[in-house]
Amino acid sequence: MLVNKENITQFIPQRAPFIMVDELAHADENGFTTQFKVENNNIFIEDNLLSESALTENIAQTCASGFGYLASLESDAEPKVGFIGAITRLKVTDLPKSNAQLTTKVEILTTFDAIHLVKGVVYENDKQLLECQMKIVLA
Amino acid sequence: MTRDEIIETTKRFLSEEFEVEKDTIQAKNNLQKTLDLDSLDYVDLVVVIEENLGFKPTSEDFKAIDTFNDFYDLVEKKIN
Repeated sequence: MLVNKENITQFIPQRAPFIMVDELAHADENGFTTQFKVENNNIFIEDNLLSESALTENIAQTCASGFGYLASLESDAEPKVGFIGAITRLKVTDLPKSNAQLTTKVEILTTFDAIHLVKGVVYENDKQLLECQMKIVLA
Repeated sequence: MTRDEIIETTKRFLSEEFEVEKDTIQAKNNLQKTLDLDSLDYVDLVVVIEENLGFKPTSEDFKAIDTFNDFYDLVEKKIN
């Protein structure tokens, strides 16, 4: 594990109750992996299911934590702020219940100037829940 | 790849990716306006160029491109 739950806010701008990643498990120039447990009191729980919006936000925060971590290895400066420029090719297969343990994998497909095109996939165990592509702009 | 092959290949993948008619992709036409590209769309353009023509253009490359003719010149320089 690269960043634990206690330190994840050093690398993402979000704060409770909007934090949708717990731990950064892996980060390199090709992509990132995070872990996240769906707590009962998550603000995106409806009818005991975590919403698609939360899973999409989970992918975005996986990017934020990964890019933030990599930036911290190169400089002591504050991490750049990232914005979601676009979400495409969204495919929702299933939604997790509360207490589910999620693993999210992000692959960096290409980078053009400050724009990163990524593919994110959220899994519960080995079952895929949601995937999409995002354009992340670092400013 | 000959220039005619570059033009034909380019028309095919750009019309599919950016949903424009092949006939609008003419050598003298402005690439950005014809494809209705905003700044975020350029990353999609980079992806399809890499997939279909085998090289990854840079932002410096795009600064020199106004028309599709400029783009075909770039492709010829990069792949031949």
